[in-house]
Amino acid sequence: MKADLGATAMYWAGGTDMVLQWMRSEHSPEHCIDITCLDGMRGIEVEAGSIRIGAMATLDDLDRSAGRHRLLGTLSGITRLMCTPQTRTIATVGGNLCNASPAADLSPAFVAMDAEAVLAGSGGRRTLRMEEFFVGVNRTALVGGELLEEIRIPLEGGLNIAASYRRIDRTVVDIALVNASSCLATDSGGVIRRCGIALGAVAPVILRVPDAEDLLLGTATQTLAGDRHLLQRIEEMSAAAAKPISDVRASADYRRDMVRFMVRRSLQDCARQLEG
Amino acid sequence: MVDLHVNGRNAALDVKPHRTLADVLRTELGLIGVRVSCSEGECGSCTVLVDGSPCTSCLMLVNQGEGKSIVTIEGIGTPENLDPVQEAFIEEQGFQCAFCTPGFILTAKAFLAENPNPTHEEVSMAMSGNICRCGAYPYIVRSVMRAAEKLRESA
Repeated sequence: MKADLGATAMYWAGGTDMVLQWMRSEHSPEHCIDITCLDGMRGIEVEAGSIRIGAMATLDDLDRSAGRHRLLGTLSGITRLMCTPQTRTIATVGGNLCNASPAADLSPAFVAMDAEAVLAGSGGRRTLRMEEFFVGVNRTALVGGELLEEIRIPLEGGLNIAASYRRIDRTVVDIALVNASSCLATDSGGVIRRCGIALGAVAPVILRVPDAEDLLLGTATQTLAGDRHLLQRIEEMSAAAAKPISDVRASADYRRDMVRFMVRRSLQDCARQLEG
Repeated sequence: MVDLHVNGRNAALDVKPHRTLADVLRTELGLIGVRVSCSEGECGSCTVLVDGSPCTSCLMLVNQGEGKSIVTIEGIGTPENLDPVQEAFIEEQGFQCAFCTPGFILTAKAFLAENPNPTHEEVSMAMSGNICRCGAYPYIVRSVMRAAEKLRESA
């Protein structure tokens, strides 16, 4: 249906961003395809090999899943930084991702968690890495009538996993001036076997810091906590990866400086969770 | 046509489906206890209960309310027989101008249904999506604590 109607049609999930954008005339769709009835896309499932979050799960649903897995606990904490309790009951996880704001709160966390986006279209399904899902400011990799169906966070048996999200804002209802998220998974010896570092609000899309991730692989979380030099190199690589702009909300220099702190603190958070 | 179920009654309304729920409740059904202040989902004045969950009705299209049970301030208590949460707000003077009060009361009602024995801190967090321009917050928190007591006593 969306493919036939073309660019004049938009999917309507929670609609909390769309109502505002419509009122401000940033969009003027001729057709809105209401997908709020798709309850089958609302579940949050913790399985042996992955956590699956339906795109139509509300931010409130995600908040309530906190006790079911440590990563859901982190995501739940993030939802509480977003909008207000009575808007979180309407707004959806998928809608937040499809809005593709570079400053979105959930996006860097999903990227750091190596999450995949499952896209459903008339020709079948395809899976993209979360960082490939975002292609520009408010632009995603969705084409034609495709719909974001679910987000899958891979889990490996035998690995202990933790994630953290940090952001700089002015007030609670503010969006991030700059944010970062880290995700670490360690084996039984406390050695990092999986690592994700993602930066938000410093480029049109969410950025990863692959060189810093590589540097951390094979390192023990205890080393991370004690080795000031290692942390400093990771901070430098993260700041170098950031491509911030100056705007009314913050200067590029400030954002680049803050990336260092956000990354350091999020890594320290992960290490604490894994050791605690 | 949009079919709504509001405050225990069914209403079949001939309205464009892209109007906001808040707008339709106010103008078509005369439920002016739904207060629209910021129109951006920030202030919580337009809060209504949708299947028991507090929702900012200014950010919802009317068709998103179809098939759900919607409750506005007009749907809880009557002037002769107030809801315990309403009584508590009066007793503790949890308002000054009262423009924001319907939103606060509905948010409190949904919150207390889930957490009948909250701390001050939990009440503050639960009420964080409602803004009171008069700054009656300490009284509002006390009102919600009082309402919790009343609901526990009557339970």
